[in-house]
Amino acid sequence: MSRLFRDGWHIVLGIETHAQINSTQKLFSSAPTSLLAHDSNTRFNAFDAAFPGTLPLLNPKCVLLALRASLALNCRIQNRSTFDRKHYFYPDLPVGYQITQHYAPIAKDGYLELPVSKKRVRIQQVQMEQDTAKSISEPRAHKSHIDLNRSGTGLLEIVTEPDLQSPEEASEYVRALQATLRAVGASDGNMESGSMRCDVNVSVNRSGDPFGTRCEIKNVNSFRYIVGAINFEVDRQIALISSGQAVEQETRGFDHYKWETFKLRSKEDAPDYRYMPDPNLGVLTISQSEITNIRDRLPPLPDAIRSRLLDRYESQGVSVNDVDILMGLDTTRLVPFDGEHSTQDMGAVDYFEQVVDNGRRSAKAVSNWMLNNLLGQLSAHSMEFSSTRVPPEQLGALVDLVTSNTITTASGKLLLRHLVAHPSSASVEQVARSLKLVEDQGDDLSAICQRVVEAMPKEVASFKSGNENVVNRLLGKVMKDTRGRADAHAAKTTLLSLLKSY
Amino acid sequence: MKPRCSRQLVHNIRHRTLNTASITKDPFNAFEDALIPIQNARPGALSDLSIGVKANIATTSFKTTASSNALRDYVSPMNATVVELLEDAGAQVIGKTNCDEFGMGSLNTNSIHGPVVNPFRPEEQRSAGGSSGGSAAAVAAGLCDAALGTDTGGSVRLPASYCGVVGLKPSYGLLSRWGVVPYADSLDTVGIFAKTVATTRRLFDTLNVHDPRDPTSVSSDARTSSPRNHSTTLRIGIPQECFPRELSNTVTESTRNALANLKAQGAELVPVSLKSLSFSLSAYYVLASAEASSNLARYDGMQYGLKVSPPASADLSDPKAIYAYSRTQGFGSEVTRRILLGAYSLSAEAFDNYFLQAQRVRQHVKNDFDNAFKEVDVLVHPSAIRTAPRLGEPQVGLESYVQDVLTVPASLAGIPAMSVPVSHSEEDGWPIGVSVVGKWGSDALVMKVGEMLER
Repeated sequence: MSRLFRDGWHIVLGIETHAQINSTQKLFSSAPTSLLAHDSNTRFNAFDAAFPGTLPLLNPKCVLLALRASLALNCRIQNRSTFDRKHYFYPDLPVGYQITQHYAPIAKDGYLELPVSKKRVRIQQVQMEQDTAKSISEPRAHKSHIDLNRSGTGLLEIVTEPDLQSPEEASEYVRALQATLRAVGASDGNMESGSMRCDVNVSVNRSGDPFGTRCEIKNVNSFRYIVGAINFEVDRQIALISSGQAVEQETRGFDHYKWETFKLRSKEDAPDYRYMPDPNLGVLTISQSEITNIRDRLPPLPDAIRSRLLDRYESQGVSVNDVDILMGLDTTRLVPFDGEHSTQDMGAVDYFEQVVDNGRRSAKAVSNWMLNNLLGQLSAHSMEFSSTRVPPEQLGALVDLVTSNTITTASGKLLLRHLVAHPSSASVEQVARSLKLVEDQGDDLSAICQRVVEAMPKEVASFKSGNENVVNRLLGKVMKDTRGRADAHAAKTTLLSLLKSY
Repeated sequence: MKPRCSRQLVHNIRHRTLNTASITKDPFNAFEDALIPIQNARPGALSDLSIGVKANIATTSFKTTASSNALRDYVSPMNATVVELLEDAGAQVIGKTNCDEFGMGSLNTNSIHGPVVNPFRPEEQRSAGGSSGGSAAAVAAGLCDAALGTDTGGSVRLPASYCGVVGLKPSYGLLSRWGVVPYADSLDTVGIFAKTVATTRRLFDTLNVHDPRDPTSVSSDARTSSPRNHSTTLRIGIPQECFPRELSNTVTESTRNALANLKAQGAELVPVSLKSLSFSLSAYYVLASAEASSNLARYDGMQYGLKVSPPASADLSDPKAIYAYSRTQGFGSEVTRRILLGAYSLSAEAFDNYFLQAQRVRQHVKNDFDNAFKEVDVLVHPSAIRTAPRLGEPQVGLESYVQDVLTVPASLAGIPAMSVPVSHSEEDGWPIGVSVVGKWGSDALVMKVGEMLER
C-alpha cells in the first residue's frame, strides 16, 4: 500500500535480536560450537544431550563477550545477574528447559546510536541464554531429525525499547547492531547462516492516540524480510483499525514466499514457561574493576572507526564513499572466536592503514590501489577482500614502485594482476623484474634514446629547424621499442636533452 | 568412532561388558541387579573396602536406573566423580543399590525393583527406609563395607536409622554431584553409609575434594567453617521442635540416654528453639517438587531411556503428546505426583505464593540454624519418630509428614547431619538412631560427636 495511506499513523517497532556468541565452546558445556558445514550430531557432549548427572559450567569467554557487547551498547552492567530455566517440551530442547536470564539479566538500560540518522535506540536489556538444537523435518516421511550441534551454543538476547518508527529505521538498527557485535567480536552476526535472528514487535496508532496493540513477528532473518514483514504488518494493522476492527495481540510468522505475515498463536495460547531460578548456577558477580578492565580494552566501535578514518584521511583525498566501502568490506570479515585478536587475517580498515603506514604513503594512492585495483583483481578471481592474498607489505611496495616512477601505472596494474593470480613470497621488486616491468635504470634509457635519435635523422633535422613537436614521434619509437615499459616522462626529458646537444 | 546421535552414544557404551556375575546372595533386594565378586584389591587408602552405590549415581560398568522405568536399561556414558574418587582410592564398587524412584520416597517402596527388606530381622518384613534403602540395607547386612546414597530431605539419615547403621549427609557443596541423577539440585547431596563413624570418615576424607565439573562444588580453601569459639567445652543444643508429640516413647528414651552419654563425656546440654522448623516441610515439598518437575523434564524418550511409540491412531503434530506416552509409562505414581505439584508451583499463577514463599521460608530456616550455632556447637535430636515400619503397613495420617520434620530442615539449610545408631527399642528391639547436626562445614565435628555417641 502507498506511503500516503500511512499519513496520520504512527508506527511503533521494537526488536528482539538473538545473536550467537562467537565462542569456541558452548555456553555451559565444553563441547565445540559448530558451523553449518559441520556434519550433524558431531559437535555435542553428554550435557548438550541432557544426560542425567551432567551439570552446567559457565564459559567465561561467553561472559567476556556478553560484557563487551553490553558495554558497546552503552548498557549498565549488573553487578549480580542470575540464570533461570525456561521450560517447554520440544525435541530440539533435550533437557526440557532453556537456561536464560529471565529475572536478572547481565546488562540493562543502554542505547545504540544509528550511524546515519544519528537516532538513539534505547536497549532495554542484554541477556545470555542457550540456543536450541535443530529439528530438520522430512515432511514426506513424516519424520524429524534432531541435530545437537547447535544445542547449548551461547546466545545474546538484545531487546530494544519500542523506539523505532519505520521499516528503514528497523533495518538500520539491525545493521548497526550487527556491525557493533562484530567489532567487539561478540558475534559474527551472520543472518544467512542463522547466527543472528530477529523478532520484531509492531504496533500502529493514529497520531495523538496511545500505542496500539502489538504483534510479534518471529524469526525475521534478513534485512529484506525485516522491511517486508514490517510493511505488511503495518498495512494489515492499519487496515484492521480503519475498518473498525481491533488488532489482536498475537505472535506471527513471516512467509517469505507469499511475502506476508501469518498468525502463529494468540495471546491466550501463550505458553507458561514456568521460569525457575537455576539451582546449579548461582549468582554471576561482575566487579567494577572487571568492567573497567574490559571497557579499557574494548575494540574500537564502527562509529568511532568511521569518524577517525574521515578525520584522518578525508583531507588527503580519501572520499566518504571510500571510507564506507572500506568499512563495508569488514562486515563480511571472519570474526575471531572468543574475542581474540586475529593477527593472520586483518580486516580491510587495518589493511588500508597498514599500507598507508602512518602517512609514509599517500592515503589517496593507497585507497585507489586497494579499492579500485586490488578489489577488482580479487573479484575477477571470485574472491572477497582478503588481507593475505596480497599482503599489505606487497601492496605497499607496489605503490612505492609506481609513485617513485620505477614502474608505470600500467605496469603496476599488470604486476598486481600477477600477484593476485600467483601469490608469492618473493619481494615485489623481484617479481616486477622477473616480469620485465622494471627497465634497467639510467644508462639503458639513455642508450635507447640515443639509438632512436641516431636512427631518425629526418626527425632530428625537423627538430633542429624548430619543429619541437617532432620529439613525440621519437618518444613514440622509444615506447614502441620498450613495449611501453619506459617511463614516458623521463624518456622525453632524455630525448630533448639529446636533441638539443645534437 | 564419533557418535552420530545420543542413542548411539549409549549403544556404543552398552557393548562394553557390564558386570553381571553374581556370587553373593542378596535376599533383601538391597542391590537392584547382580553383585560382582570382590577382586584383587587395587592399592590405595580404601583398598580394603567394598562399596555399594545407589542406583541414581552414574557408573559406566553398571546400569544407572534410578529405580525408574524411564531408565530401566540406561547405561551412563560417564562415572560420577564420587565413584571415580572411590575407585582411584582402591575401593571396589560391587553393585548398584535399590532406592526409591529418583530418590523420591522414605520407605524404598517406590521402585521398579520392588521394596528393600530391612535385614535387621528379615522375617518381620520391615522397611529399610528410603530413599537410599538399598545402600543402608546392604551395609547393615554386611554385603558391602560402605555405600553411597543421596540425601535430598533425609534419604540417607532415615534408612540409616531404620537399619541401624551410620548415615552421613555432608555439608552441601562438599561432595561432587557430577554424575548424580538429579532430583532437586539445590538440596541433593551424596551421602555415606557405614557401620562405624570411623569408616564413614575414611570415605568422607576421600570424597571431600573440589570438583571443577560441579558448579556448586566448594573451592578447596573454603571447605571448612571456623569453630564457634575456642572454648574446650562442647555445647550441644537440643531443639525442642524436634521432639514432637508423635515421637514414640522408646525413641524419646533412647535419645535421652544418648544425651546423658554425651553429658557424661563432658558436653554441656543446652535447650534451643528453631521457630521456623514447623514451616520447613511445606517449603521443602514446594522447592523439591519444583526442581524435580524441571529436572525430570528430560525423560522424554528422545535421546535415551524408555521410549514408548505412540499408537497408530495418535496425533503426531504435537511433540508433547508424543512424549506423554513415554513419560506416562516411565514414571511411577509418586514421581508423577511430585512433577505435577512442582509444575504447578512454578506456574505463573502460583509462583509468587508457592515457590518464592518457600524460598523465603528456606532463608528463615537457615537464619534459625545460624542463630542456634552462635550458642551451640552441634544439635542432637532423634533421627526418626519411630523404628522401621512394616512393609505394606499403611502410613497413619500425618506420620510421614511429621517424620520429615526431623530431617528436612538440615537439607534446606545445607548443613551436615549424621544419624548414628545408639540403641535398640525397648518395645520391639529394633534399631534407633540419633542425629547430630552442625553448622555448614563442621562435618569433622559432627563425626567427632558421632563417635562420642558410639562409645
